[in-house]
Amino acid sequence: MRLLTVATTALLLTACGAPQRHVITHLADNVLLPAHQHWADSNRALAERARQYCNDETDLNALHSAFGNARHQWAALQPQLVGPLSEGNRSWQVQFYPDKRNLVARQAEELLDTHPQLDHAQLAEASVVVQGLSAFEYVLFDDSIDLPAQRERYCPLLIAIGQHQQQLAQDMVDLWQQPEGMLVQLKAFPNERYAEPRDALADILRVQITGLDTLKKKLGTPMGHLNRGVPQPFQAEAWRSQQSLDNLRATVEGAQAIWQAPGVRELVSDDALATRIDDAYTDVLTRLDSAPAPLIELVQDSAQKDWLDALYDRLNTLHRLHQNELAAALDIQIGFNANDGD
Amino acid sequence: MALTRRELLRWSGLLTGAATLGGLVLWQRRPGAEGPLLLSARNDTDGHHYAVGYYLNGRKAFATRVPERCHAIAPHPFLPVALFVGRRPSTESYLVHLQSGELLHTLHSQPDRHFYGHAVFHHSGEWLYATENDTTDPGRGVLGIYHLDGLQLRHHDEVPTHGIGPHELAWMPDGDTLAVCNGGIRTEAESRVEMNLHAMAPSLVLMQRDGQLISKEMLAQAKNSIRHMDVASDGTIVTGQQYMGELYESAPLLAIKRPGEAYRAFPLEEPQRQMMQQYTASIAIHSELRLLAMTAPRGNRFFVWELDSGKTVVDAPMQDCAGVSAVREGFVVTSGQGSCRGYDCSERGVPARVSHLDLPAGLWDNHAGLLV
Repeated sequence: MRLLTVATTALLLTACGAPQRHVITHLADNVLLPAHQHWADSNRALAERARQYCNDETDLNALHSAFGNARHQWAALQPQLVGPLSEGNRSWQVQFYPDKRNLVARQAEELLDTHPQLDHAQLAEASVVVQGLSAFEYVLFDDSIDLPAQRERYCPLLIAIGQHQQQLAQDMVDLWQQPEGMLVQLKAFPNERYAEPRDALADILRVQITGLDTLKKKLGTPMGHLNRGVPQPFQAEAWRSQQSLDNLRATVEGAQAIWQAPGVRELVSDDALATRIDDAYTDVLTRLDSAPAPLIELVQDSAQKDWLDALYDRLNTLHRLHQNELAAALDIQIGFNANDGD
Repeated sequence: MALTRRELLRWSGLLTGAATLGGLVLWQRRPGAEGPLLLSARNDTDGHHYAVGYYLNGRKAFATRVPERCHAIAPHPFLPVALFVGRRPSTESYLVHLQSGELLHTLHSQPDRHFYGHAVFHHSGEWLYATENDTTDPGRGVLGIYHLDGLQLRHHDEVPTHGIGPHELAWMPDGDTLAVCNGGIRTEAESRVEMNLHAMAPSLVLMQRDGQLISKEMLAQAKNSIRHMDVASDGTIVTGQQYMGELYESAPLLAIKRPGEAYRAFPLEEPQRQMMQQYTASIAIHSELRLLAMTAPRGNRFFVWELDSGKTVVDAPMQDCAGVSAVREGFVVTSGQGSCRGYDCSERGVPARVSHLDLPAGLWDNHAGLLV
């Protein structure tokens, strides 16, 4: 029997396919692709500011601002990482985290020792540890570096990282927009990636849920959840720039952008559940509004433990509402072999 | 597989017993009207475990609920039964009738042993070999040897697998030599937690079925767990690895041992290797088309290469791709999360054609067996 004779392309004509297809099209056009484009724009600006700073055409504040925006766009994109950027080692190239052994600092220095005139081609051949925002942050914010006085040493790395990120981001946008690229794969079914709209929607929601789950690790690890309760401040994401909570907020808002996209909420027939998810987003974001200090300080201040625990609990509620109840309501399978293989 | 008169006589006793268990008849491996039968372990959304058989046209042959989650399937060479092997650290495996779905027999592992999810029947049909853990010396690999007595599998003996944490095993073309993947990881009874990530010792072993070691080969990195395999009709062995180090480190996730040659990395382009996220699941070789297929569920990627040249035939995104098995024109691939696919790779020089099969979507375990 020929395989093709048993193919079922009619699956996409099922009754639930039409609203899902509409929702996915909207998400692709108005949430996911724009998020990739914003991220690419921020990297283009970062590359340009790095070049300008190293040529005395702009100041350090402008470079800090460009870096902050690139970091923000990347954090917002993480719960939306369907498609090419989630594949291979591409996300590692953007950010090396967690960095349990401070590899970023060590490898950045080693790279500059061996390549004082580092260029983009050499960086592209180097480890992912030094190709992205983590190494850029190290140069901008580490206490051991006085960048204005050490531009000769560090500018080649800043410029090369800027170029690498700009190139990577543009390549990803191209992979979205090319014929039969990711944008088309989210609209025309079946295709190489998805059999039917349901598969695409499930992929989007799984990525959103993974993004929220990762946030729990990003908060819980510096709080000491993996260290018998003893805080590990230097295991926080972005501890050098003290942008940990800003990143966290951006990721929550990125996940919320999917939830609030037209039609997504309507796929859930349980209004009470939808309201609880709305409220859970509000709870986390409201809590973040009241952050009394950067995360690296909060985890080292025992007086702030209750505040942090409350934030974690709210994040946990948000995650579990998605992982358990929303996934069940939409009949989406969360992880099987991929998370629990053999 | 056609039966010889000698085999028929040898099996007369078993068949007599079978007749009392629902009219078991000889199962000749010719495609029926509905084509190949896909066998796999599968869950439902409530977490219940099943041994299932589906025809590729979507018709369910059976879905038999079983107490413990299974992993791989050992079909009998000529009777319509298969052992659905308990996933580690299960102590149960299930002998299921492939026409009725009847659970004929629950095989319990010996005391201080558990199954690792894989087993094979000998071509004689009389013996079954299963990789097992000696939990008194956690990780010490043993091969449980069982005799098929009527429709009961009875423990007969065990021999070492000459390594730690054995996983998949397969017959070499002579039908009497076994190739065994020793994953190299120690785990305790009732646990899936790795105890020795800094002292792993994976190996590919060739051994006679009486336990005698023929060869034992290693890869360069001790953290590169050798777990799954297939053997081509010419004796070429391909293994799939799961690297237990960091995600950003580089380790060969496929390796090959061609007849008469040393065991070595299968050549992969680095971007393709990175797509696998250090984790490979199922390996299937299509001996007639000389193709090699592999699933990478963590990387959500399915691959097919030419076995001899290493040239890529398929490199496709596929969510939680799980089991893969060869069919006449290519491969069938199942998924833990999405729809199952067929890849027609039969025309050289033409891109493989993918079809989405009318099988239930998702919740398929990492291995699929096809009876064609």
